[in-house]
Amino acid sequence: MKEDIRTFISEITFVDKSTIADETKLFEEGIFDSMGLLSLITFLDEQMGVKTDDSDLTEENFQSINTIVAFLERKKSLVN
Amino acid sequence: MAKPKFTKDIIKLADVNATIEHLVAKLKDDVAKQLRRRGGIVGISGGIDSSVTLALTVKALGAKNVVGVMLPEKDSSDDSKAFALELASKYGVEVVEENISGALDGFGCYSRRDEAVKRVIPEFNPLVDKMKIGIPQEFLNTNLPPVFYVTVIFADGSEKSERLPMNEYLQIVAASNFKQRSRMSMLYYHAEAKHYAVIGTPNKHEVQQGFFVKYGDGGADVMPIGNLYKTQVYELARHIGVPQNIIDRIPTTDTYTAEQTQEEFFYQMPFEMMDLLWYGWENNYSPAEVAVALQKEVDEVEKVFKNFERKKKTTEYLRMPPIHNY
Repeated sequence: MKEDIRTFISEITFVDKSTIADETKLFEEGIFDSMGLLSLITFLDEQMGVKTDDSDLTEENFQSINTIVAFLERKKSLVN
Repeated sequence: MAKPKFTKDIIKLADVNATIEHLVAKLKDDVAKQLRRRGGIVGISGGIDSSVTLALTVKALGAKNVVGVMLPEKDSSDDSKAFALELASKYGVEVVEENISGALDGFGCYSRRDEAVKRVIPEFNPLVDKMKIGIPQEFLNTNLPPVFYVTVIFADGSEKSERLPMNEYLQIVAASNFKQRSRMSMLYYHAEAKHYAVIGTPNKHEVQQGFFVKYGDGGADVMPIGNLYKTQVYELARHIGVPQNIIDRIPTTDTYTAEQTQEEFFYQMPFEMMDLLWYGWENNYSPAEVAVALQKEVDEVEKVFKNFERKKKTTEYLRMPPIHNY
């Protein structure tokens, strides 16, 4: 899952995959902006089957690959 | 020289008349010597920025060498025309009205926008309902970049808001931007027909935060208030004789069918506060010093500074000329 997200981020930002670590702060370090966040929400919905609610839009859920994965796992566990 | 202490009065103009004289002299010089044009075209909306720009242009070039162009379309506020006419009459300039609704219909501005809105809120009926897009206030207090929501105000007064997915957001913005770009085209028609320059109306925040449309309202030959904070624009307005009812108007986007202030759409805070925060950030004052002067929490100022930094960076593309050094 982490690699899929890393590949997606790399593809839409033209940032080399090797420079996006699990803990890299995606927004603070300027990798992602509003369009990046919107693209990611669409990707999580269409490719991972997870819908992001308004209340999910927090820094805690989206600041790094690690927090995105934790968010996905939490959302999936709620469905199951 | 040491930086002055940050205070609430730090951007108050020391001598408004001297500022006006400086802007007028530079504008005259730029139009005549740099641009080599013999007059100025100003798009007038009845808002504060275009009113001050028109007044400065008249002072610089003379009323007989200035044309005010009103560019209404079917979503424009009815008030705008009355204010623009009052302004043109006050400064004694020729005024031209060009309704761009037909051009916008031809581009599919309204239909493309409404189609995207309907994909998010299917009950939307553009014939009777109104719509707008905006950023919820709570995004200002996070380090996440903001995302836009669309709000439909139904004919019965009820409202519905939904977060915009990427494709719909982009389509609504791209379609709406036909408005600013059509206005720019019409302003250049009048400018070229008279060998005049287009005098742009964006203020410092619009330029620096990217609150303009590239090759739309960002398309002009010179922008005389482009380095003025909004509160400074108001200071000039009071000195240069802009009608009081224009000064008292709340700045709106005049872009979507529902009424919407610029604060609600983009800036998310009052101009008085934004001017000071932007000055503090731009001039490298510490969040702690700014927070004390403005009676805010330090972490709140830090978040606003980060937000400014992000806006400046993400909108750099809008301010860039075409890259041709290949």
